[in-house]
Parts: sequence; structure tokens; C-alpha cells
Amino acid sequence: MIARRGLRFLRERWRVVVRLAVWSLLEAGQTFLTGYAPARALDDGFLAGRPGTGLAWLGVAGLGVLFGAFGTARVHTAVAELVEPLRDGLVRRVVARGVREGDPAALSGLTQQTEIARDAFAGLVMVSRSFVFTAAGALIGLFSLAPLLLLVVGLPLVAGLVLFLATLRPLARRQEAFLAADEALAERYGAVCPGLRDITAAGAEERVAADTGRHIETERRAATSLARWGVLRVAALTIGGELPIVLLLVAAPWLLGQGVTPGALVGALSYVTQSLLPALRNLVHGLGTSGSRLVVVLRRLLREDGPAFATPTGQPRRPADTPPGIPALTLKSVTFAYGPAAAPVVDGLDLELPPGAHLAVVGPSGIGKSTLTALVAGVLEPGHGVIRVCGYPVPGSEAAARRVLVPQEAYVHSGTLAENLGLLRPDPVPEAELRAAAEAVGLLPLLDALGGPAATVDPAALSAGERQLIALTRAWLSYAPLVLLDEATCHLDPSAEERAERAFAARPGGTLVVVAHRISSARRAGRVLVMDGRTTAYGTHDELLERSALYRDLVGGWSPVPSQPALALGDPDGVDAVAGPRLAVDGRHVVAHGPVGQVQATGDLRDGGSLGGQG
Amino acid sequence: MTTQPAARTTMFGLLGPAPGRCVALGLVSTAAVGAGLLLPAALGRALDLLLTAAPANRWVAYCAALVLLLALLDAAETVLGGTLDARTTSWLRERLTGHVLAVGPRAAARFGPGDLVARLVGNAAQAGTAPTARAALPAALASPVGGLVALALIDPWLAAVLLAGAPALALLLRAFARDTRECVAQYQREQGRIAAALAEALDGHRTIRAAGAAERESARILRPLPALSRAGHRMWRVQGRAAGQSVAVAPLLQLGVVAVAGLLLARHRVTVGEMLAASRYAVLAGGVGMLVGQLAGLARARAATGRLTEVLAEPARVHGDRRLPPGPGRLELRGVTARRGDRPVLDGVDLVVPGGTTLAVVGRSGAGKSLLAALAGRLADPDAGEVLLDGVPLRELTHDELRGAVRHAFERPALLGGTLEEEIGLGPTPASPDRVRAAARTAHADDFVNRLPAGYATLCADAPRSGGEAQRLGLARAFAHDSRLLVLDDALSSLDTVTEAQITASLLGSGTHGTRLLIAHRAATAARADAVAWLDGGRVRAVGAHAKLWQLREYRAVFAEGEEP
Repeated sequence: MIARRGLRFLRERWRVVVRLAVWSLLEAGQTFLTGYAPARALDDGFLAGRPGTGLAWLGVAGLGVLFGAFGTARVHTAVAELVEPLRDGLVRRVVARGVREGDPAALSGLTQQTEIARDAFAGLVMVSRSFVFTAAGALIGLFSLAPLLLLVVGLPLVAGLVLFLATLRPLARRQEAFLAADEALAERYGAVCPGLRDITAAGAEERVAADTGRHIETERRAATSLARWGVLRVAALTIGGELPIVLLLVAAPWLLGQGVTPGALVGALSYVTQSLLPALRNLVHGLGTSGSRLVVVLRRLLREDGPAFATPTGQPRRPADTPPGIPALTLKSVTFAYGPAAAPVVDGLDLELPPGAHLAVVGPSGIGKSTLTALVAGVLEPGHGVIRVCGYPVPGSEAAARRVLVPQEAYVHSGTLAENLGLLRPDPVPEAELRAAAEAVGLLPLLDALGGPAATVDPAALSAGERQLIALTRAWLSYAPLVLLDEATCHLDPSAEERAERAFAARPGGTLVVVAHRISSARRAGRVLVMDGRTTAYGTHDELLERSALYRDLVGGWSPVPSQPALALGDPDGVDAVAGPRLAVDGRHVVAHGPVGQVQATGDLRDGGSLGGQG
Repeated sequence: MTTQPAARTTMFGLLGPAPGRCVALGLVSTAAVGAGLLLPAALGRALDLLLTAAPANRWVAYCAALVLLLALLDAAETVLGGTLDARTTSWLRERLTGHVLAVGPRAAARFGPGDLVARLVGNAAQAGTAPTARAALPAALASPVGGLVALALIDPWLAAVLLAGAPALALLLRAFARDTRECVAQYQREQGRIAAALAEALDGHRTIRAAGAAERESARILRPLPALSRAGHRMWRVQGRAAGQSVAVAPLLQLGVVAVAGLLLARHRVTVGEMLAASRYAVLAGGVGMLVGQLAGLARARAATGRLTEVLAEPARVHGDRRLPPGPGRLELRGVTARRGDRPVLDGVDLVVPGGTTLAVVGRSGAGKSLLAALAGRLADPDAGEVLLDGVPLRELTHDELRGAVRHAFERPALLGGTLEEEIGLGPTPASPDRVRAAARTAHADDFVNRLPAGYATLCADAPRSGGEAQRLGLARAFAHDSRLLVLDDALSSLDTVTEAQITASLLGSGTHGTRLLIAHRAATAARADAVAWLDGGRVRAVGAHAKLWQLREYRAVFAEGEEP
């Protein structure tokens, strides 16, 4: 597969290949002179009593060396035109897949594997091209000195090459086995070293040592086997590069008898020792190592994409208004599991939200609330059942244009604030509109502190809460009527959270689904969905207090904790802002939420109507 | 980085863990150089005889024998060198792995986990080449010196030509190193910009994916790509120029030698064969660059060895030979002092947890709660004082007795990359499948594990897990083996309160055995314990029931601290 792609890659760049060949020819012209010039220097010069002629021939060889050096420099430029496009292509691929799949391995793919591919490919091109042209130069030189010499040198050279090519595949397999073993070992250490505390605590030192020892042993075996197979390289080198020397000597009396001059004989020996042998050595050592490294790395970088779901891509656009009477969100007996044998996370869920509704989803951590939002967003596909957003089937581009998902980990990239806020809009957003949105969600103080929409933001310099405010304002600005907040306010303090949630609830025509981080979010919502494994309960806050024991537990003892998206995130104490007792006080202050859309949030919503659309 | 010269030699002698092989390799490569030096002379002699039509069979045979010998030596060198590297590296890794595991968490704290991995993987491989580099050194030295001597033997003028030209060689090699550095830095800068933007996008990939913005974001991240490409092309250009200069030097030098040899030939001071030999010797004598490379390799290997020696210099934990008497699991800290650097984190702590009871440890962050938890299970040793379990100092217990008696769960459990079954069952011996599932049920992990594609056989790399899910796996791991003392170091902090309440209820409820030590941040957790130890300023400020302590304003302030966002 990779060989075919490689050929295509070279075919598409035949001009560069031709240029490379031309410069290599210049470089190899010198090879031609390495034997030919000394031969003529001897025959016509030093042995003929004309040292001046001899020196002149050597001077020609010297000039050849300089030309060759020029060729070498140009060869590098031509190689760059092959190698850099390959690297560009790999970087594009790695970045595209990394962004699409969110795979953290993309970073090492970018900084390490593409560089290995770059170096290995350059090495491969250099070595194989150098051998081809050097061998051609030397063989033409031999032929022009005396055709018979070609026979004596050429036959063992071909034999050596054939032996080398025959062993290339098994050698490459061993090289690959070694690389794989080395990587497995590094991966193992990558798990063991950060886990030393846990290993010690579990008393599993011996087991881990034994297991790691097996990896070490596998790597050692692979390295040893590789070294043993190296003998075949030596054999190929000896037959192709050293045997001609002996043959030239053995055949010397016969060759001299056939009219080959002493100079030609010396020239032939020069060709073999100074051109063919080094070129063959580089080929034998370089092709085996670079080739296998390249194949291993390319196989990894070019691997077929995983079973990605058909998430709609393309430019953001403004969806057409939904006719009245169509629900904003419908789920019909939706079932989802992470594998055919796995227990379902969502099992036969039915749900219907009218436009303008405000739903809070609550439940213990890890129960599948995020899975539900991912299903609605079309990022996951249900195994069974139908989901519709504003009447359009999910997944689908019409549905995708009508919903926006704000996850817990806010995405802010280095760039201007306006770029960040306008990510979901087709055209740049007017500043007045940006400011109105910032005011509604509560971003305005930060927007001003940073220096306005044109200011550049550095995500690392922002707090998690500030990043969430930016992500929320971005969602607020989107044309999508359905907003899914998946713990998107977990780093905000309760009052900031309330302001943001109310702003979304008040987006005219906007429908809001909040995965609740604090129970106060559920109190603000008109409808609550309680998830508890396979069973769910759906109703208003008061109804659920009556009906659902789990909901009573949640309301009674809710001390929410941000569920970290990954283990590595820093969270010094893991204690959250709202304590149970204070919530209990809140509990008595029941907010009468009818249709949430009617509750006007603080702030200037003049532009809200045009922004929110009509759902 | 300080290295201890005294310790460096203790890791292995100069010749490595397989001195016999190392010596053999040295002999083989030196012999190969010797044969390589003899061959041009023999070749020249044979050629001279052949050109004068004298009987040359003997010298031709010598040449053939030398070529064969060279091939055999080369083969032996390849195998010996490769296997010696592999053997030394694996020997080093075996030893270091064992040592690092014996040192335990302190090794990761001292060097940082990432650095430790780099030492075990990269540095061990580099250090593993030290014996072969040493063995090859005499040969690397002998080759250019021998070439020069051979030139001088043929005619002193030839050696003089080579020596005169050598400085040019050295200068050009240096220019090469200087030239490339600048454009390499430029290249890495552009690459860094792409990597930084990619890292941001990876953090936000859920947003990007849901927005269908992958293509646009990729295009934005790839904006510096043309600049990267330009820098890349420039690197090749500079490298090509440098290579063009340096490839010319050696052949020109060699041509100079051949030219002088030709002039001497015309005066009948050297023969045709000697001229051929001289051109070959000029190449060998010009191989000083190889010697420089060898020395640099050896220096790298020695530096790597130094870094490994630092790891070995960390003292390993020593276990005693006592076993525990039957007992309820009474934990006692007597005058325990523990320092981080020069700062005492715990300062003369006395504390008793009666067998079968639960003690919650509370205190502001930095009060030393986690350190106390580590000391209670001998994940660390105190600098002064003693920790006893049922009257026996922990450090006098055997390894298996200690680990069979104490189990830990952590705020952020580390998973080791196996299946979830293996992760939960981690211990001196793996827990039975039934036990693993029972432990997972107690830790409320059973449900979400069953929802994974392969259930308990799912690799932990394939298990998407939040902080709460990871904590539940860690708890299950602590429950999957019997113990007298269970230490939960903030191990419930990422769970929602409902789940936490259910787990603590089954943990502390009637019918359970053993003593429990809980590091707690939440007042509700502390309230469920039999007693609370309040740590403040490295000392135990008070021990008592949560309800009683709650009347103290400062005690309440301990819990308020974490509630500020």
C-alpha cells in the first residue's frame, strides 16, 4: 500500500525527480573521473615520463570533485523539493485528524513521527540515488577504460546486490519488530513511572517488574536478532564490493594479456575501493534502516481513519426558520451503548421539548448525561431510535445548523477575541452585536479588560471560568435555536452561572438543555430529566420531588463537583463552591418558571431577537 | 546536573556487564583495522608483481585471504557489537526498573515521571552503547594513525601533504555545525507554533466537532505551514552548501597525495602499486572525522550513564522481617516528623486510631494530610518517629505482610495500561474475577464498566473516564484485597454527593472490618467518621467528634477555605 502511494508521490513530482537526476549526474561525473583520471594520469603521464600530463589529468579529477561538490549542494535542494512536500502533507494529515478525533497522540505525531518520516525519507532518497548514479558513473568509467573490466567488476556487484535485495524484506521485518518492541517498552515505562505510588501502595512491585522485564527481554531479542541478520549485509557487501578486488588481481595476467593497460587496472581498483564499495556500504546500511523506519512511521501516520461518525462539516450558516408547531427536540425510544456487548447508557428514552423550553438534566456523575447531549448534537449515533432537532433528523446538516453544544472544557484558541466569538458564524460579527452578546452572558467586563473584540487572547492566561464565558458568548451568538450546555458553567460562580443560564433561557425562540452542574440549575429550569442508569424520570422540580427518590437525594445533598474530563487536569482541592446548607436555603426560594422564555434576563437584549432566530 | 564520579563506576566497570564480549569486540575491531591497513600494501605489492609479469600468486592469495578475513571480522563485529549493545541496555533497564520500583513514589517525586521515562528509555539505550564505544576506540584511533604511518613508510612526502591539508578539513567541519543551527531553530519555532495551536484545538475538540468546524480549525492551525516549509527548504539549502564544501575536502586531499605519489613514481621513487596503496591510505588517514564521532558518542554514553547513576543513587526502601500479630488494625503515629526539603510538613505528630474505627483527617491545603496518609501506609518513611500497626513498626514488616495489611485509594489513581480487570485486581497477587466485580460494585464502578465496549476486558486506554470514574476504579482497587487498614486519600472528592454517600455508607456501615483513615475535604465526609483529627501547622490541633469541633469557628474555616472559587 505504502509502496504504491510512494510511486504515485514520485510520479506527481516527476519534474523534481528529473532535476534530482540531473544534479546527481553532475555529482556522479566526478565518480567517473575517480578511476578514469588516475588511469590516464598513469598511462599518459607518470608512466610515460610526462609528469605534467599526469598532473593535468589529476587536476581534471580535482575539477570534477569541485563540480561534484556543486552537484551535491544542488542535490540537497532537489531532495528538499521531495521531502518538504511529504512533510507538509503529513503535517496536514496529522493536524486534520487530530482536530477531528481529538486524539492527543496527534501532538507526538506532529513533532516526532513526521520528523522521523522526513529524515528517513531524505536518507532513503539520498542513499539510493547516490548508489544508482555512483554505480552508473563507475561502470561507465570501467567500460571506457576497458570493456572487459566491466565483466570482472560487474558480475560480483550484481550478485551482491541481488543478495542484499533478497534479504531486504526479512531484514526490514526484524527492524520493524525492533521498533515495535522499543515503542511498547517506552509505553510501558510511560505508564509505570507516573504510577509508582499506586504500584507501591498495591504491593505489586514484583508483578510490574516481571511484566516490564518481559518487555525488556522482547526488545533485547529483537535487537539481537537484528544484529545477527546484519551478517547478511556484510556478506552482500563482501561479494559486491570486496570480491571484485580479488577477481581483478586474479584476472590481471589475463587482462594485461588482452591489452588492458596498467593504468586501467589501477583505475579499476580505484573505482571499486573508492566509489563502488562506499556507495554499496551506504546503500546496504541506509536502505535497511531508513526504509524500515519510514515504512513503520508512514504506516502509523497514514493509517485509515477510525470509524468516525458522520459529523457535518463546512461553513456555518443561518438556518431557515422552523414552522410553528414543530418541537425543538424530539427523542423517540433512543437507545445507545458504547459497544455491542456493553450495557446501554441510554435505554429507550422518549422526550419532546417545545420551542422555548428550558430543560435541566440531572443525575449522578458518569450516568450518561454527556452521552445524551452528544447524541442530540449528532456527535454520537444512537443504536436504536430517532432524534430530531426542529423536525430534522440527527445526524444531518439541517439539524446540525439548528443546535449548538457547549461542553465543559471551553475551547478558546490563540487569536483575536472576535475570531473566537465568531467561530459559529459565517461572517465577522459586528462589534455592537458582540458587545450586546457579551453583556447578556456576562463577558463584558472581561471583553473590556482584554481590550475589546480586536484584542488577542492567550488561552493559557485566562482562567477556566473566563474561557467558559467566551465559549458561552460564542454559543449565544450562533444562529442555532437549540443550545446544549453540558456543564458549560462549572467553573463560574453561582451568580455568574445564573446570569448566563438566564441569558440563554431568554434568547427569543431559543430552546435550552442544561446538564446541571449545580442543583440550582434544575430549579431554574421548567423541566427536569433525572437520569439514573436505565431508568429516567421527567417532570417539573416539584413533581420530581414527589416522584423521584434519587431527585430528592440529589436536591438534599447536592454538593457538586466538576467531573474532570481527564485525569491530568489540575484541581487542587476538588471541593466546589456551593455547600449543601446554602442550597437548602435556596430551595425554599422557588422560582416559578413557566415558559422560561418569558423571564427577562438582565442586560440589553435589543439584538437578541435577530440573533436567536425563531427556532 | 551533578554526577558522582565515585558512584559512576559502581554501575558497571569500564567494560560493562559482559566484559568478555567487550574485550572480544575490541580485539575483533582492532584486528579488522589491522587487516584493513595490510590490504592496500598487499594489493600494491601484488599489482607491482603482476605488472612486471613476475610470479604473483602468493601475494594475490594474501590479498584474497585478507579480504576474506576482513569479511569475517566485519561479520563478527556486527554481531558482537549489536548483541553487546542489546545486552548492556537490557541489563541496565532490568536493574534500573527493579531499583525504581524499590524506591517507589520518591523516585517519581525526585526526577518527575516524564524525566524518569526519558532516563529509562533514551538514556539507558545511550548508556548501553558505552562498552561497544570503548571497545571500538582503539580501532578508531589505529585507523587514521596507521594510514598516516603507512603513507610515511611509502614516502614521507605523502604524509606531509596530508598533514598540511588536514586543518582545512577541521575548519570546514566546524563551519557546518555553526551554519545549520540557526535555521534548525527557525524550523522548530514554526513547528512549535503549529503544535501550540493543535494542542489548544485538542483541548477543545468536542466544541470543534459539534460545530463541524474541524476543517476550518485545521486550516487556521496550519497557517504557519508555508513558513515551516520555507524554513525546511532553507535548512536543506544550508546543509547542501555545507555538505558541498565538506565532501570536496577529503577527495581533494586524496588527489593531492596521489599527485605527489605520481611525481615520485615518475622519478622511480615509488611503484604503481605503492601509488595505489597511497591513495587508499590517504582515505584511511583522512578518517579522523570518524574518530571525532566515536569520541562524541562515547561522551554521550558517559553522560547518559551519569544520569542513570543518579537514579541508582536514590536509596531503595528496605523492609524488615516481622509479621503482624492478630489484631484489629490499630494505627499509631508516635512523634512523627516528616520534611519536604528543609521544611517540616509534619512536626512531632502523635495520633492513635483504635482498631475498627474510622478517623477523618482534615486541615487546610498544605497541612500535610496527604503526607500523613502516605506515612500511614509506608508509601513514605518519616524523618523521625515511628508508625505502628497493631504495635509493630511498619518498617519492620516484610513487604508482603505490609501490603497485605494496608490498602490505599487516591484522589487521582494512576492506571497502568492493562485491562480494567487487571487495574482493579492490582496487588501482590491478582484478585479473583468475582472479587474484582464485588469490589467494583462497592465502589459504584460496576455500572459504568459494564457500559464499556468490552466490559472488564476493556483496556484502560480505551475507557473514556472522568475524574469521578477514575476515582471509582481506584476505590475498587483498594477494595479488591482484604486489609486491616484502608487509607482513602481524598479518594471520594470527584464523586457527586449521592454516590459518595452510598459508598461511605457501605464502607463504614456495620459488618465491615478494619480501620479506616479518610483524608476529607467535605464537612459531610468528616461528619460520618468516628473521630476527626484536625491538622494545622504540621501538628494535630485537635482530635474529636466532628459535631463538637464544628462549634469552633476556626475548624469551620477549614472547610470554608476550599469553597472559595
